[in-house]
Amino acid sequence: MNKLQTFTPSPARPAPENTVGPAVWLKNNLFSTPLDTVATLLLGYILLTILPGVIDWLFLSANWTGDSQDACVNDGACWVFVSAWSQQFFYGSYPTDELWRVNLSIAMLVVIIAASYQFEKGVREKIIIPLFLLLPVISIAILDGSYLGLERVSTDLWGGFSLNVLLAAASIIVAFPLGFIWALGRRSHMPFARSISIILIEFFRGVPVLALFFMGSVMLPLFFPEGTSVDKLVRVWIVLILFMAGYMAEVFRGGFNAIPQGQYEAADSLGLSYWQKTVLIILPQVIKVSMPNILATFVMLFKNTTFLLIIGIFEMLSTTQTALSNSRWLGGHAEEGYIFVAVVFWTVCFSMSMIATNIERKLNTDHQ
Amino acid sequence: MTNNPVNRLKTDEEIITISGLNKWYGDFHVLKDIDLTVKQGERIVICGPSGSGKSTLIRCINRLEEFQQGSLVVDGTELIEDVKNIETVRREVGMVFQHFNLFPHLSILENLTLGPIWVQKMPKAEAEAVAMKYLERVKIPDQANKYPGQLSGGQQQRVAIARSLCMSPKIMLFDEPTSALDPEMIKEVLDVMIELAEEGMTMLCVTHEMGFAKKVADRVIFMDAGEIVEQNTPHEFFDSPQVDRTQQFLQQILNH
Ligand SMILES: Nc1ncnc2c1ncn2[C@@H]1O[C@H](COP(=O)(O)OP(=O)(O)OP(=O)(O)O)[C@@H](O)[C@H]1O
Ligand SMILES: [Mg+2]
Repeated sequence: MNKLQTFTPSPARPAPENTVGPAVWLKNNLFSTPLDTVATLLLGYILLTILPGVIDWLFLSANWTGDSQDACVNDGACWVFVSAWSQQFFYGSYPTDELWRVNLSIAMLVVIIAASYQFEKGVREKIIIPLFLLLPVISIAILDGSYLGLERVSTDLWGGFSLNVLLAAASIIVAFPLGFIWALGRRSHMPFARSISIILIEFFRGVPVLALFFMGSVMLPLFFPEGTSVDKLVRVWIVLILFMAGYMAEVFRGGFNAIPQGQYEAADSLGLSYWQKTVLIILPQVIKVSMPNILATFVMLFKNTTFLLIIGIFEMLSTTQTALSNSRWLGGHAEEGYIFVAVVFWTVCFSMSMIATNIERKLNTDHQ
Repeated sequence: MTNNPVNRLKTDEEIITISGLNKWYGDFHVLKDIDLTVKQGERIVICGPSGSGKSTLIRCINRLEEFQQGSLVVDGTELIEDVKNIETVRREVGMVFQHFNLFPHLSILENLTLGPIWVQKMPKAEAEAVAMKYLERVKIPDQANKYPGQLSGGQQQRVAIARSLCMSPKIMLFDEPTSALDPEMIKEVLDVMIELAEEGMTMLCVTHEMGFAKKVADRVIFMDAGEIVEQNTPHEFFDSPQVDRTQQFLQQILNH
């Protein structure tokens, strides 16, 4: 017994001096070479000369309270402009008393997205996916109102940021399965299905989205039966769906290529039919590997909804322009207006990226 | 249930009849005049150098590959270009692959119940009971709720075998089931296969595990350059191969 020695670990030594600490970080990241040093100093100088003015304009001498242009007495930004128009920015001309319907639609969207996060696979497949697919119909019914016995709100009045969000969501929800079918068609061995799919995909990806919007408002009516007039917003919706489906098909194509041949063979050898194999085995794996690109495409589509101002849809950017040309607000508030639009879009897009990163991490740890 | 393999005894009934089968990949003649009959309950090991067409041959049996000439009858169904036909045959023929090919997005239990539920229209609870039965047979019932990526190679391959067995196949095809495994895992997979052979399953097995061949095979087939060069009982095959190419091949793998 007494021969045993007690084990005492040797004391930890501090890390070598030149590898830790803020001074080292600065040296490594900002001043590691003469060129870096020059760049750092130059950028630092520029920031120091510009930033104070910007901060002062944005915050310190900005005008925050009031309800008309006259409240903007300081030199800084006139945020009063934004707050006075905020209802239009978010809801367009939707009647004030009925705004709850817009809120309800947005809330349903948020709840379903959150739920698809929360619940496990079985519930997701049986309840949440059908709900997603029904969402555009439900939202339209609520916003329009006439089918539900509510006061009818014409689509001319829909607008603002909520329209950007709902239109993007409604397009994505339909474009997702449509894009998948196009991608399947493109891989098909049937020449007819394949050529049709290739033409559709390449057309809607190749033509600029603005041109598509113009075509949608001018040409789509030619395809509808004589005498029917299809709502402008519905036409825009169709264009967005087709445009998005083209991109999604391309995203899915990349996903298909990542699925090993063995997955098809295993499914075949079990005796699954083509559609069983596609839906049960291939689709989930394609979605999983394409997730980063799917979400990037969502962000792109969402930002592209601002192009709708060109054809007279009152989405957020066009509401902002209307506000800017209002006779009581001619004091030149373009900076405030566009900064606000940019911040709102950036916030939503950035959150989408965060969600995307999160989903990817979850997918990567889930089933490995 | 009649589909319990234990009850299936060896008979003289031919379950697979291949005659005059030829297959080309473009200009490349990959299978040349293959004639092969397999009786119910027979265990066949196929070996041969890489590229000799072993995989291609057994993949023709469940029509993962098509062929251009000859005829192939599986359990009374002739394999012709008819979708119904193909699916009938695939239900009766299980296949185990070199790289397992489990479905990574499904749990082990879901991997096993997928076929019975969707192809055989079995109620979920029953399918799960069947799945658990086979998971116990391959000795990993405790992994039922894990995902394939969480299992070792040997465990994944045993799941893959169980997945095929859940469909109550009459024939099992194995394409080098142990060659992607680390040495210490080969035995656990071979044990399952030996047990299956002892229960009377009709098996066609591409493998270079000669110990396995000696132990369970009724017949060993040697293929080279798309042809069946030699076939014999394991005893004859290993002790007195008739053809030069077989001798060379056996020397190579035995010295290896
Ligand atoms: N899809 C294909 N297209 C063209 N040639 C192919 C294709 N699949 C296989 N081959 C060729 O056919 C030949 C036989 O292939 P097969 O996979 O059947 O060989 P194998 O005996 O199983 O070999 P291994 O022991 O390497 O698995 C090989 O020369 C291979 O290159
Ligand atoms: Mg092979």
